[in-house]
Amino acid sequence: MLKPEKPIEVPRSEIDSALVRQLAQLLDETGLHELEYATDHWKIRVARHAGVATYIPTSVPATAPGAVAPAATAPMDPAADASHPGAVLSPMVGTVYLAPEPSAATFVQVGDQIKAGDTLLIIEAMKVMNPVAAPRAGRVAKIAVDNGAPVEFGAVLMIVE
Amino acid sequence: MFEKVLIANRGEVALRIQRACKEMGIATVAIHSTADVDAMHVRLADESVCIGPPPARESYLNIPAIISAATITNADAIHPGYGFLSENAKFAEIVEEHGFTFIGPSPDHIRLMGDKVQAKLAVKAAGLPVVAGSDGPVLDTDEALEIAGRIGYPVLVKAAGGGGGKGMKVAESPKSLGEAFRFARTEAQAAFGNGSLYLEKYLGHPRHIEVQIVADHHGHVVHLGERDCSLQRNHQKILEEAPSPALNAAERSEIGMIACDAIHKIGYRSLGTIEFLFEDGKFYFIEMNTRLQVEHPVTEAISGLDLVREQIRIATGAPLSLTQAEVRLEGHAIECRINAENPETFAPSPGKVTDYHVPGGLGVRADSALYTGYSVPPYYDSLVAKLIVHGNNRNECLLRMRRALDEYVIGGIETTIPLHRRLVSNNDIINGDYDIHWLERFVGLNR
Repeated sequence: MLKPEKPIEVPRSEIDSALVRQLAQLLDETGLHELEYATDHWKIRVARHAGVATYIPTSVPATAPGAVAPAATAPMDPAADASHPGAVLSPMVGTVYLAPEPSAATFVQVGDQIKAGDTLLIIEAMKVMNPVAAPRAGRVAKIAVDNGAPVEFGAVLMIVE
Repeated sequence: MFEKVLIANRGEVALRIQRACKEMGIATVAIHSTADVDAMHVRLADESVCIGPPPARESYLNIPAIISAATITNADAIHPGYGFLSENAKFAEIVEEHGFTFIGPSPDHIRLMGDKVQAKLAVKAAGLPVVAGSDGPVLDTDEALEIAGRIGYPVLVKAAGGGGGKGMKVAESPKSLGEAFRFARTEAQAAFGNGSLYLEKYLGHPRHIEVQIVADHHGHVVHLGERDCSLQRNHQKILEEAPSPALNAAERSEIGMIACDAIHKIGYRSLGTIEFLFEDGKFYFIEMNTRLQVEHPVTEAISGLDLVREQIRIATGAPLSLTQAEVRLEGHAIECRINAENPETFAPSPGKVTDYHVPGGLGVRADSALYTGYSVPPYYDSLVAKLIVHGNNRNECLLRMRRALDEYVIGGIETTIPLHRRLVSNNDIINGDYDIHWLERFVGLNR
């Protein structure tokens, strides 16, 4: 996680307003809070803070030290936010399995109504399978991790509404 | 060479390891608690894995979480840094059992040196001079009285499972020995889960002088000179320097060779530091640290060697990059350990660093994970920066340290920089005339 860099003055002609508009629209449509788009030469971050999207151009290449968020270990759906009230967060580091066995059906599917205590998935750590139970009853709104994906402590596993 | 190293630590040493790995083209994995998500080494590492909530027990001491993190990132090796699990033989064993290389000595040597009684016996057998003492665990006060009568008062009751200055009680006379013994036992049991005690003669005015050794898997051992770490408060080092102002060249060479010889006999590999008390021209072994030490930069300054790089190379099985004859110790170096504490009361001062400006110039090195806007978390130890200066001689160092301390800005939190400024201007320090009790008297007087 990084602090956003301070906005700097950029001549109007250099701003790709069509791109900014497109990104801002994407923000609205998806309900995201922040979007970052990078090329080899520049990156743009569009963020919703108090309803205003800001344009932060930089000439620093995306691989400059400290300028890139470290690769998260779980390829996560950005809409699965840890601050969502229904987010189920990983209690440990390990590998996610969505089914009790490779050939079996997954524990849950999107849309399922579940009870508190129902097993949602397994996290394997050091060859031990640890079931992760639903903290509350509800409907599985989103499964935020892929089968076999690595997860860190606090990673968003599912959204149960 | 390793392709990927997992750094099992935090703060300035994690950044230190990150830097060494980067310079060797090794990819890094930073593991961290939720409190350290914005830590500088986490930002710089190639990958990061959050392994738990802030308490060390659930994060930096959480062996399954660390091993899991190494597994999911496909790390080759794990560097334990200092503190935390760096001298935990069980951890080293588990790391190796899971197919990772532990960047450090073998679990057996960690275990041997971790038991202070066994360590003393082993090094004594290998030819190191030791403090007169019980030569083994002392079971009860009767035995303690008998041994103390033999070696002479005052005596120090020490925890066999302790170290780092913890779990020690002085007994001035037979009258106070019983109580010291009982107190020490209770404290040792609580702090280390091990109430085993031993006795040593208490030295009145020793200096703490430690020798840095490096050993590879092929039986080569070199020493890189000594460090004088006598300035301590509550057995925590505050300021270190290399070489020691108290040793002459002959003494330095002699203790260095004796240390190497002992290390060679034991078959130790990786970095290690042998700690001695030095009094009236004589050395007495107290303990060995089987890890990278906080104060390693002063040795790096005078030897020109990157100790973390050397440690990583040794772990891959490579031979030492130099022979004893090639070791050149030049000039003088001083390190000030800067803690996030009130400089007079030593009350911890975590919080947000509002201004951070590092001193620069010739011969100045600052190892710190701080940056402007960083919040020092309250959950971990208070060391936030190490300021190291190198000069052609000790005088130049003192002047340079004074100058560098004057430039160093760490705003928003309290730090011990003012204490260091007083130290480097103090006559006793300027004259190199201090022992392990000096600092306690100095801060007592200043209270």
